[in-house]
Amino acid sequence: MADNQLGRTVDALSRRKFIATAGATGALAVAGCTENEASDEDGLSGEVVIKGSSTVFPVSDAMAERFMEEHEAVNVTVDSTGSGGGFENHFCPGDSDINGASRPIKSEEESLCAENDVTPMEMQIAGDALTMAVSPENDWVDCMSFDEMAQIWQEDGAETWADVNSEWPDEEFTLYGPDTTSGTFDWFTENVVGEGGNHRTDYEPTEDDNIIVEGLQDDPYAIGYFGYAYYEENSDRVKALDVKESEGDDCGEPSLQAAQAGEYPMARPLFIYPSEEAVQREEVYEFMKFFLENSSAEWIADEIGYVPSSQEDADANLSALEDAAGN
Amino acid sequence: MSTDPIDADLTRSVDGRIAKERLYHWLLFGCAALTIFVTVSIVVTLAADAVTFFRQVNALGFLTGTTWESSRDTFGVLPLVSATLIVTIVSAMVAIPIGTAAAVYLSEYASDRMRSVLKPSLEILAGIPTVVYGYLALVYLTPWLRTAGLELNLFNLLSASIMVGIMIIPMVSSISEDAMSAVPDSLRQAGYGLGATKYEVSTGIVIPASISGIFSSYILALSRAIGETMIVVMAGGMQARMFDITNPFANLFNSGQTMTAAMVHAVTSDATGGTPEFYSMFAIGLTLFFITFAMNLLSNRIAMRYREEYQ
Amino acid sequence: MTTADESSGSWFGADGKVSQRRGLLFKLSCLGATLLALLLVLVFLLYVANDAIQPFTADSGWLATVAATVVLPALALAAYYYRDSEPSGSVAYISFGLPIAATLLAGGVVIVFRHVISPHGWLALAIAGVVAAAVLEAHARTRTGSALERLAVVVVVPWFALIGIPGFSVDYTVTTPFLGQELFDLTMSVPTLIPSLRGLIVSLPILPTAALSLLASFTLPIAAVAAMHVRRVRESDRAGVIGGVATFVAAGAGMVAAPIAGVAPETGVIAATVIGMPVGLYVESVQRRGEGMAGLAFPVVIGGGAVLAAVLVNALGFAGPELWLDWQFLNSSHSTTPADAGIYPALVGSVMMLTVVAISAFPIGVGAAVYLEEYAPNQGRPGQLVEFLEINIANLAGVPSVVYGVLGLALFVRTAGLQSGIVVVGGFTIALLILPIIIVSAQEAIRGVPDSLRQASYGMGATKWQTVRSVVLPRAMPGILTGTILALGRAIGETAPLLMVGVAAVVRIPPNSFFGLFSAMPRQIYSWSRLIATDFRYGVLAAGVLTLLIVMLMMNASAIVLRNKYQRNS
Repeated sequence: MADNQLGRTVDALSRRKFIATAGATGALAVAGCTENEASDEDGLSGEVVIKGSSTVFPVSDAMAERFMEEHEAVNVTVDSTGSGGGFENHFCPGDSDINGASRPIKSEEESLCAENDVTPMEMQIAGDALTMAVSPENDWVDCMSFDEMAQIWQEDGAETWADVNSEWPDEEFTLYGPDTTSGTFDWFTENVVGEGGNHRTDYEPTEDDNIIVEGLQDDPYAIGYFGYAYYEENSDRVKALDVKESEGDDCGEPSLQAAQAGEYPMARPLFIYPSEEAVQREEVYEFMKFFLENSSAEWIADEIGYVPSSQEDADANLSALEDAAGN
Repeated sequence: MSTDPIDADLTRSVDGRIAKERLYHWLLFGCAALTIFVTVSIVVTLAADAVTFFRQVNALGFLTGTTWESSRDTFGVLPLVSATLIVTIVSAMVAIPIGTAAAVYLSEYASDRMRSVLKPSLEILAGIPTVVYGYLALVYLTPWLRTAGLELNLFNLLSASIMVGIMIIPMVSSISEDAMSAVPDSLRQAGYGLGATKYEVSTGIVIPASISGIFSSYILALSRAIGETMIVVMAGGMQARMFDITNPFANLFNSGQTMTAAMVHAVTSDATGGTPEFYSMFAIGLTLFFITFAMNLLSNRIAMRYREEYQ
Repeated sequence: MTTADESSGSWFGADGKVSQRRGLLFKLSCLGATLLALLLVLVFLLYVANDAIQPFTADSGWLATVAATVVLPALALAAYYYRDSEPSGSVAYISFGLPIAATLLAGGVVIVFRHVISPHGWLALAIAGVVAAAVLEAHARTRTGSALERLAVVVVVPWFALIGIPGFSVDYTVTTPFLGQELFDLTMSVPTLIPSLRGLIVSLPILPTAALSLLASFTLPIAAVAAMHVRRVRESDRAGVIGGVATFVAAGAGMVAAPIAGVAPETGVIAATVIGMPVGLYVESVQRRGEGMAGLAFPVVIGGGAVLAAVLVNALGFAGPELWLDWQFLNSSHSTTPADAGIYPALVGSVMMLTVVAISAFPIGVGAAVYLEEYAPNQGRPGQLVEFLEINIANLAGVPSVVYGVLGLALFVRTAGLQSGIVVVGGFTIALLILPIIIVSAQEAIRGVPDSLRQASYGMGATKWQTVRSVVLPRAMPGILTGTILALGRAIGETAPLLMVGVAAVVRIPPNSFFGLFSAMPRQIYSWSRLIATDFRYGVLAAGVLTLLIVMLMMNASAIVLRNKYQRNS
């Protein structure tokens, strides 16, 4: 039956892999290359390969786990390769089916994909609510505007609390934030620090958001920002600030509900990019359908600490998926 | 094959047997030649993609730049090199004294029974996967050092370096011990004959006589430390920082990114950089390959010298 | 310095005492350094074990019961052996360790038969192999034709027995050069032309059950080996037959008993064979030597104590420790809930990857070593080339593993066009990494074969290849195997190359072919270390690390045991 198995393997692989596969199979046939594809009741089998951003990873991983509880024979593998690395090395060359990204795709990446006949479809799913937090002992500030945050965090900006607002104490602040290689840092630089300049570098950057929490807890004049998931776990140890985009706006309390309703301005959108070619395959289509249907579910907030997407977004994504799959 | 013995089995053709012998000869040669192919393909594949990288990034800027911010396409390799040097130096400070002392003990003092326990144990130490060492550094060593009063970042070069040091101890000890055991016993006897004590023989005769072997073990171990990846990735952090001369200890207590960590970073992290960051991996890889290659070559040369002396 | 008189005393000066103290200090500091390195790691490992097993979360009643039924009797026995009967002590620890090691090995074999090759596939492979060997033998006896004919038969017969001429399919789009317009699609697929004997057997309408297939094709050869061994050491045909039959019967009993214990009959056969054979042989050897028989009581006492403890804590209702490393962990896949997370797919992935590594690196590595030691010229220009080869191999052994990862990515994924993150890509990449290690250790083993043996072989008219095949390799094989196992121990722990070739962080289904996506244990450990929840960092991760370490230690320990045995024999 080695022959049948070989045939099936070949069918499953794209043509550019054929020659290599055939050669290597010859070598390994002796070792007994057994291909016993199991399939469950609805006959769905195959594999779905997800690469991309480590920020999207927790969502994709949870989705994969839940999907595979229903479809045991579909192998959904999830990897965190970084948004860019995922597009560059896996998605655009056609090796992965879905790429998670913490930012929209860049035009160079789109053209790279086009060269290989891969058509990415942008879908905004869930989001991460950035939280600006201070020590629980800090009693002078409850709400901050983007402008004030920019003053604190931009290069050559304020040094003391009083520099920002004269009613605040004349004490130097200690700054904690995510390190420069993280997507959170990038989003904050681009959207909050904004045109005003670069993100300052003389703060305490760290890869582990727990360190930010520790730092804030110990120092009444400290301020820092991190993903909401960390705040949720440590809400008794630090005090989160309300934020508003400009002076005239209402203050928005950091909560996943507010972010989902669009009332919290520091919600950072997350994306997944399935390729149109991949969703033609039934297992990818079914997985995407499951993913999108669940992208507005409550458990995303409860279990992962991310912002579920709105019902409208989920519906729009679903109909885009239907169009692409040709149903 | 002029020295082939005469074929005694007259019923089989001699030609066939010679052909068969030739076939095996070339087949085996092919196996050996494959290693050349591996080296060549390392150089070629790394160089080809490194060229792509240097088309987009100034090579001089790469080699002399002091900032590495791959997400903003700023590629100066010096922060990575400085972190690599820190790890190498600190790990050497851990491994060289301990490794050498262990080698002296095993070669000069240990009873047979002791050796039969200690040597395999050290060998098993060498077999522990680096991902395990990385885990030990991150989850146990860093908290211990923090409890001991050091103001360490959760990810820091100090505990990563100490772990790398522990990892390369068996390398230093086993190669140095081989070198010491190779010192002819007549030299030791001559020493004792002159009335020297065991201590004097060990430090005054055995170590100097095997010094080239010992040095070659150091170089090999250091080249291993330079190329070590998982420990520094897991415990050392991912923040590329230039060496801060004003505050040397801060460099140890903070996170840092070595060359190998930067390569892993290029394929796993959530950096938003595009093409050049990915290709930077090949440029760093090539640099790393040449550094370790040169060190191994050097170590070989030194070891060669000592081999000539006593055989 | 017994004859030191007055004058020599003044010669030496009075520093005799001083130097003695200095020497002692030096010796102790050297010993201290050695022990420091070992103890440090030992302490770390104890912490890992503590986190993975959490013995102190158990009820004190549970701990007391276990101490009373298992630990105390074990200590008492150990004290007895230490004081009164030293040979029994070594018998005790071997007879205790052997079943554990064999059980782990049996677990590996079960994984192989579950995921790498099915019992039927193995049966077919075995039958086809035997038939091919028989045909070759018959041909060699009946035909004395030309070497070319012989060569053709040697190639063709195994080929048809095992591979046949498989069908193939082509799916290629023909485009105009330069412009790249599609002209037409060339799609065709040819069914199997000539099926292999192996394929024919597998597709037979009636096959014995999986367990019976294993009994015939797995247990039978092992029983034969056992029989031969017993026959040789006891110098009695009858004892040999008894040994073989006993092995076979034990495996059959395993098959029958397995469903009662709630596992598949195949598992029963494998477990009974892989555990029963070595344990039986060891008991036989102890009994034959008639020394240290008392040691055999040790595993029995501990096993009995464990069973008693299990019954007692069950009856008394004591809760055991909250294990992270438990059966559920070994048998399930990664989950976002720490308590449900497991390592099974990664375990299978590691086994399959190691299979690829062994199959690809071992023959090439040994071939290269044989060339360098037996064939390579050592003079003139070719000699220089060989010297260059040797230096090159030494250097390759020192190239950082992460560079090999980049090489694997470039060579197998981008150039050869294989999918990233599949078993063969990971396996080939790691194989390149350990190839130099295998070559160097095989060279050492071959160098250890005395030259007189080679000369004797040549003197009897053997050719070079015949000498290598029947004299050098058999003699060097234990050494080669030791080196290979150590290298494979390194291979199983390598992580960085796997990251580079795109082995995914989470794979929940074990690969079902060598071209399937896989994860390996160290890769899974690394992805756990990146997760936020503390339970992953301290609990799940510790369990994963302990699993990996146990597998690795078993491999290294068996290599070391093999080497010690071999060194003692030669």
